[in-house]
This record gives sequence, structure tokens and C-alpha cells, in this order.
Amino acid sequence: MIEVHNLYKTYTTYTRGSSFKETLRSLFKRETVLVPAVKGLTFKVEPGEIVGFLGPNGAGKSTTLKMLTGVLHPTSGDVRILGCTPWKQRKRYVRNIGAVFGQKSQLLWDIPPLDAFYMNKAIYAIEDAAFEETLHRLSRLLEVEEIMRKPTRQLSLGERMKCEFIMAMLHRPSVVFLDEPTIGLDVIAKEKIRSFIQEMNEQGVTFILTTHDLEDIEQLARRVIVINDGEIVFDDSIMALRNFLGAKKKVRIVTEQPSDWYGIEGVTVLKLHSAKDAELELDTDCLPLKRFIQLMNERCTLQDMTIDALPIEQVIKELYGHKERIEKVSIVRGSSKSHHLITK
Amino acid sequence: MKSLLACYRAVIKTKLAERMAYRTDFAISVLLMLLGDFMIPLVTLLVYRSGASFPGWTLQEALLIQAVFTLAKGVAFPFFFGIVSTTLYHVREGSFDVFLLKPRPILFLAMMNAFDLDDFGRLISGGVLFGLALSGVPAPSALHWIQFAVLFLCSLLVLFAFSLFLSGLLFKWVGSSRVYDMFDSMSMFGMYPGTIFSKLFQQLFTYVIPIAMIGFLPASALLGKGADGAWLSMGMSIVFCGAGLMFWHGMLRNYTSAGG
Repeated sequence: MIEVHNLYKTYTTYTRGSSFKETLRSLFKRETVLVPAVKGLTFKVEPGEIVGFLGPNGAGKSTTLKMLTGVLHPTSGDVRILGCTPWKQRKRYVRNIGAVFGQKSQLLWDIPPLDAFYMNKAIYAIEDAAFEETLHRLSRLLEVEEIMRKPTRQLSLGERMKCEFIMAMLHRPSVVFLDEPTIGLDVIAKEKIRSFIQEMNEQGVTFILTTHDLEDIEQLARRVIVINDGEIVFDDSIMALRNFLGAKKKVRIVTEQPSDWYGIEGVTVLKLHSAKDAELELDTDCLPLKRFIQLMNERCTLQDMTIDALPIEQVIKELYGHKERIEKVSIVRGSSKSHHLITK
Repeated sequence: MKSLLACYRAVIKTKLAERMAYRTDFAISVLLMLLGDFMIPLVTLLVYRSGASFPGWTLQEALLIQAVFTLAKGVAFPFFFGIVSTTLYHVREGSFDVFLLKPRPILFLAMMNAFDLDDFGRLISGGVLFGLALSGVPAPSALHWIQFAVLFLCSLLVLFAFSLFLSGLLFKWVGSSRVYDMFDSMSMFGMYPGTIFSKLFQQLFTYVIPIAMIGFLPASALLGKGADGAWLSMGMSIVFCGAGLMFWHGMLRNYTSAGG
């Protein structure tokens, strides 16, 4: 459904210094700088997938999304989505896709979203019956039947975002691109949006979303693509991402006798609450869980213990933080054991 | 075509509803525009009252040229010239993306979005001025009316071309609001009788950048003073408009959106 091959985008910008002299000089001469925003992305997305794009600010996520929606022309590379090259067959292509850009509204500020929906109906030439049916279904699902009649400027951010989703889905697209769709929303609004995405996905809609909210990824995406500095540094399942730094667990342990947690191979102290209470990171590749429990019992008698998977935030932080030493991560989909860091 | 018209109607309806949210601002805008447009013929009136004149042109004839000029702008500004301000705003904000996501020609969408109700003030002032000026000159013949209609259409083509050139520049010169000053300085040559300029300027504004077509040439036809080269200038207006279309679409490729 979506095939991206060797996609590059380089922006041309200009630099100037901040001093008065440099500013004055820039009036006559500017230094041209080529900024490679996307460097050779290659990936495929199957129909019905929800793929999450993660990456730090400026990593190239939004630029990639803009090229996939046909908004930007790439510097080089191929993209085939629904049988079209987005920037070449724009009109035919955009008829079958939807897009929600969290920071760019398609609604009109001074009039109710409902008026904007009718405008979209005319732009997409949607039949009356199909339009009414879709609008009724979506507005009920997102619980906006009443609020969509109020002027947009009077709506809360969450209500506006729900209406943005309706605006993007009225023409029943088969692929939807979401750029930070839950940005700034409260927990309840986020939940509503996420369940809406899930429901649409169950009906066969493919979603590509960029976000900084890892909960979006955890709850929605079955597959994660991490982009850093314009390159894909990870492409696999959310489970594989969790295991990225090895089979690590977060352990909270309470013991009867005081214990020294340092110096045990495979154990890193995250937080020391007291001599009997600590949060540890356990690498089960080095020290299997069974052996760890046995060891703790022998040393200081276990009183209580909770084991959790390593928070995804920590994994992501590690991925972003390793920018300098990551040369490349092998990208082997479907084989979570195969990805690893190749260090310089 | 039917679908395009339905689309146009829906968007205009929405734009009207949007503008009516601020009715006082709308009324003040229209009033100020009317007053502003009446200033130019007022200056011409004062010039003639003081004993000076444009050689070979009576006051009523000079006013008719300026009325046609205002009328042409009165049609252009509400219906398509707003594309310049639309481009200026949306390219700077990066929200031009939204047009690119719709399954319609981008220029068509940008023009529809540029529909500006306030500028109907210009159309009203143009109509009033045209009526007043026309009442002071001998009634034109049917042939002169036909010639005027054709040349007036060409004047709209020239204004459309200008809007495309200025709007196209804004894909590269992001946020340059001075493009309006560029247009005003150039287009003002169209509201005076072409014969008051040197031969070189006359040829430049008739055959190269057909500014004379905006007011002078259609008004001359209506007065039965068929100016030299009007038909050639008509051809040039079509070429100018074609060049504007090519330029705009070429410049659109420079659109880089804004950071996400």
C-alpha cells in the first residue's frame, strides 16, 4: 500500500550571524546552507496497519509526512501510495487520503465546524446520502453532535481536534496521516481520539502518525519507526522497541535485612529509597529472573517485589541519546532479536 | 464544470458566513474603501478646476478612464486579487498545506479562499464612478460598447496576471507584503491617458506590460477614441496572463511549508 524508497529531502536555508555587522552584511551577501532533513528513508506499510513515527524535534518526521501527503516535493527518491506518486498525481491521490495536522487547522475559526464540513462535502464532491451517513456516524462516535454547531472559536482544543478528525474523514479515506494529533489534549480527549482511531482502523483504515506522546504509540501502533537526524534508526514492533536495550526489567524490591545493591552483575540501581527498599534495573540476559530472586532471598530475604517492563520513555531516551555513536541499526522487521546498535 | 461551480458556491457561502461574524468591521471596511477610491477622481477634478488638464482629454473623459480603472479593480479584488494576501499569509504560516491536501486545482482553491467581501466596496465605488463619468460623455454606440466589453475582459486578464505574478513571488519571497506597493506603483499608469506619457513608456505599457489595458484602452474604446495598438495589446494581455499562470505554478514548487 505504501512504498517508500530512498527518500531524500534537503532544504536550502541561509545563515547570518547575530551581530549588527553580520546582520548588515547579510543584506548584501548570505551564506547558503543545505540542510538534509530526510536522508534515504526506505520502508513499506501494509494495508490496515497503524504505524507510529517517533523522533526528537527536527528529526524529519513532519517533513516525511508532508512528502507522503504530497505537500512537499522530495529532493530525490520514490514514493508509491495507493498506486500514486503523491506529488505527481496529487488530485487523484488526495481524494483517497486524509490528514490531521495537530498544529494546522482545516476548520474555519469564526463559523461552526458543521459549515466547514459542508464546504468539504462540495470540495470532495461527496454524495448527499454518503455525506449524511458518514457525518452522523462520526459525530456520534466522537460525541460532537451538538458542539459542531457552535462557532469553532468557542470550542475547546479537544472539541476542535475531534472536529478536525471528522473533517479529515468525511470522504472516507483509506489512508490517514496524523501529525501530533493529541498535542495539548487532556487525558479524556486523548482517550476519545485514540479509541476513534482504533475503531476506524478496525474498519480497514491505515494510519500513519507522528507523535511525541508515547502513550499514543503504545496504545495505537503495532509498529514503530524511529527517525533520528533524518534516518530510520529503528523499525519494528512496540515489543521489540521495549526489548531494544536488551531484556531489561524494572524491579522494585523490599527486603527484610538491609542490603548492598551495588556490584551485582546485571543489576543497576535506579533509585535507593532506603537500605531495604530500592528500584533496580535488571538485565535478564546477564542475570535471569529466577537466579535474581534466588540471590536476593539468600542475601537479604525478600519481603515484597514488583516487576515491570522498562518504561518506553527510557528506551526512547536511550535511542535519541545515542545519536553520536549510532552508525546504523540493522532494520529487520519480524525479527526482534536482530536489531542492535553498531557502534563506532 | 458543474462540480466546480457547486464547489465555488459552497466555499463562497462559507466565506460570507465567516465575514458576517464581524459585521461592524465589514461595514467600516467597505465605507473606508469607498472613500479611498473616490480620492483619485477628486484629485483629477481639483487639477482640472485649477486650470490644468491632461492634454487632449476633457475632465469627463479623464474621469471615465479612472472610473474604468476603479471598476476593473472592483471586479478583480473581491473575486481573485485576494490570492496575493492569501498566499502571503498561508505561505508564511505554512498553512498552504491545507490547499494541497484537497482534490481540486490549487489555484482554484487559493482563489476561492481569497474571495473577499470587503472588496465589494471597490466594486460599488467603481460602478458609481463609472455611471457618473459616463453621464458626462456622449452616449457610446453599440460597437463601442462591444469593443469596451472585450477590452474590459482583457483588463481583468491583466489584473489576474498581476495577481499571479505577485502571489507567485511570495512562494519565494516569503512574507514580502511590499508586493502591493509594487503593484500600486506600476498599475497607476493605467488610470491616466496613455498619450500624456513619452512614446517609450506608451509602448512599454501597451505591448510589454499591458498596464494601459487596465483603464486607458477600454475607456478609449468607449469614447470612440480607439487608441493605437489596442488589438495588439489585447493579444499581449492574453500572453501576459498565460505567463502569469506558468509563473505561479512554477513558483509553487518553491513552497517549503513551515516547521512541524
